[in-house]
Amino acid sequence: MSSIDPLVWVFLATGFTVGFGHCIGMCGPIVISLSLNLRTANTTWPHLLYNAGRLTTYTLLGGIMGATGSFTMVTSRIADVQKGVLIFSGVLIVVMGLMMSGWLTRIQCFGDHSRLQSFLAGGYGRLIRSKSIAAYYPIGLLLGLLPCGPVYTALIAAARAGMEASSMQTGFVKGMILLLAFGLGTVPALLLVGKLAGLKWLTRRSLIYKIGALTMIVMGGYFIIKGIQF
Amino acid sequence: MIKKITITRGLSGVLLLLAVTVLPIPVAAGGKENRGITKCDIHHVACVQTLAQGTVTLNILPKPVKAMADLTFQVAITGVPTLQNPFIDLSMPGMYMGPNHVTLEPVSPGKYEGTGIFVRCPTGITLWRATVTIPEKGTAHFIFDVIY
Repeated sequence: MSSIDPLVWVFLATGFTVGFGHCIGMCGPIVISLSLNLRTANTTWPHLLYNAGRLTTYTLLGGIMGATGSFTMVTSRIADVQKGVLIFSGVLIVVMGLMMSGWLTRIQCFGDHSRLQSFLAGGYGRLIRSKSIAAYYPIGLLLGLLPCGPVYTALIAAARAGMEASSMQTGFVKGMILLLAFGLGTVPALLLVGKLAGLKWLTRRSLIYKIGALTMIVMGGYFIIKGIQF
Repeated sequence: MIKKITITRGLSGVLLLLAVTVLPIPVAAGGKENRGITKCDIHHVACVQTLAQGTVTLNILPKPVKAMADLTFQVAITGVPTLQNPFIDLSMPGMYMGPNHVTLEPVSPGKYEGTGIFVRCPTGITLWRATVTIPEKGTAHFIFDVIY
């Protein structure tokens, strides 16, 4: 009836299942940060672009796993990058929280010309305040590298598919399709969280917004600690 | 009335934010999940579980058992006639990580071997479960810590 490898359906379903469990927990704070950051804009396109970026990274990683047929070889090479991305995302969430709450502009302890403050207010600030929704695609590309257990599991399956493939090219395509299916499965949950967090009645409540900002700062700190420990 | 609705909606929003932030914390194995599960020190010994008809022994090499590394899984079955090869599913108690399946091949009568990998969970939880399934005969669950 269908020539599609049954494993593709398995990983589509897996993505959907872990999307509503694991991914909401791990990527939820990031998605909520993006939504709350888009206080007045339509959140659908930025979230779609963020997810498209994430899917691009997953698909490429799946292709590499499929082509090499080795999970451990690839993951050992990108481990440091993933550690950096985990810390980066933590800092991103903290800065978003600080800027949302308005507390970042009140931080004077670094001095007016401190490099750290310029970096935070300049680099991250530009990224966060970017009016172009296209900025959400590269954010998704980068955050697709976040270390994540279910993604690793899908990558193991991609590497196995590569080992069983007749050629490197076939392995590459098989790995890409598996990870694309997995990634697509995770999209509904993250879109839903993004839409719920972006509801206008929520973002316009000052107190809720402040509590949300505080929660983000705490979660960002958690990401940074986990990144350092990773 | 309108104020009440607004407060209710507001509180649900806060709850939503809090709910998603605590979701990464997995439920520790406990209560019902502990039934029929053998907890063992896989870093030093092979794990053994007695079934109704025999025993299932699980060993993982090299030791200590580390995540994100290629590992050899050895299963020895005694007293249970096997019609098909057993297999292992690796999972985390209370947190679904996707299907992580280890295929086993016979190496000698009653002994099977295969390769697999424990993935690393950024939450830092190191508790893993290996479920050995003997088709049509039963399952044996083993719980142990894995080094990250």
